[in-house]
Amino acid sequence: MIESSVDVVNRAGLHTRPAAMLVKIASKFQSEIYLVRDGFSINAKSIIGVMTLAAEQGARLGLTVVGADEQEAANAIKDLFASGFDEP
Amino acid sequence: MPSIRTITPHQKDHITVRDVLAGPLRLRSLTDDVGMDNKITDKSMHRPQLALAGYTEFFTFYRVQLFGNTEFYYLNSLTHADRVKAFRNICMFNVPCIILANGHLLENELIDLAREHNVAVLATDYDTTKAIQQLSDFLDDQFAPQLNVHGSFVDVYGVGMLFSGASGIGKSEIALDLVERGHRLVADDIVVFTQKRESILMGTGTSLVKHFMEIRGLGVIDVRQMFGVRAIRFQKRLEIIVELEVFDPDREYNRTGLDESLTSLMGVEIPTIKLPIIPGKNITVISEVIALDYLLKTYGYHASKVMAERLHDEITKRRSSRASTDQRHITYFMGDDE
Repeated sequence: MIESSVDVVNRAGLHTRPAAMLVKIASKFQSEIYLVRDGFSINAKSIIGVMTLAAEQGARLGLTVVGADEQEAANAIKDLFASGFDEP
Repeated sequence: MPSIRTITPHQKDHITVRDVLAGPLRLRSLTDDVGMDNKITDKSMHRPQLALAGYTEFFTFYRVQLFGNTEFYYLNSLTHADRVKAFRNICMFNVPCIILANGHLLENELIDLAREHNVAVLATDYDTTKAIQQLSDFLDDQFAPQLNVHGSFVDVYGVGMLFSGASGIGKSEIALDLVERGHRLVADDIVVFTQKRESILMGTGTSLVKHFMEIRGLGVIDVRQMFGVRAIRFQKRLEIIVELEVFDPDREYNRTGLDESLTSLMGVEIPTIKLPIIPGKNITVISEVIALDYLLKTYGYHASKVMAERLHDEITKRRSSRASTDQRHITYFMGDDE
């Protein structure tokens, strides 16, 4: 199990388009991926779940990954957040 | 698997005067069987005013010639000899047929002239404008491009849904399930789509197959006999294509509903939904939901857009002030524990 955290860096936050990107990438891995905000944990493969976070720029989310490909999955999710979802 | 995008449309290269006579114009022939097999090769019709007046340079004689009030008033303004001459001007060409609108009739000498030249003369009681509308509509339909598609076509809550996908994936079974739930089958296996005006595709079955369908392991059944007339309809506008496919974990499926994909059939763009089939997934119920969602969108409510806006508003609010992060729909439960 990997426990880490990610920051929302893009200005518009985790709105619908980034949420869809995140879900698409998360769904490529077998591991279970969870994002946690203020103790509220959601499955990163669920679009409604990710949207529920309503994470604005600057928000810090906990990241928990469990599974066979957890290292790759964690890296991919971190890279995605760091890239700001290709947004300013 | 041949995609429905790759099928080439076909269209009639001609119809006969007999087809026009049998059309919706309530026509009667004034020349009996004369010219009934004349071919009509063009979907436009022609008002031969200039040709009557003698100018036949660009006379589109091969079209259906429609005589409305103008043509009659003009002919009536001529002397008898000139009238015969003017009419001969038209009959000389290889005209397939002449349609007289507004209940007008021609004198016998002119009718005989038409017979001589093997031109059918048909009459309708519709006024000129109505006759033009009906005739254009009929000819448009007859010469419209048609496309044969392999799939099941069902009216779900009034929305025309085409199920496409590889053989044996269960298109007919889904159609049957929908019929059982009160929806109406238009055609199974072979659906013929005809383009109407610019942006409409009308679908129907073939005259041989009608509402028969094949269920694997069972054979051929007749949906109309089995479920009654309420379970079928003869034609429906195509509004959504549902592409069924075996679930492929490497494929990306639409998760938000914000991006609409379209299939272009004969230049008409039809919203298309790619639906993966997974055990335990009730495609019939999902199909009903697709139809209802389509209706909501038609009436201006786009759920995924509304959700995206709500999310955007929430993010904006949080950015300006660290608001409460309680995710529940209500902020506290009432004391009645119910």
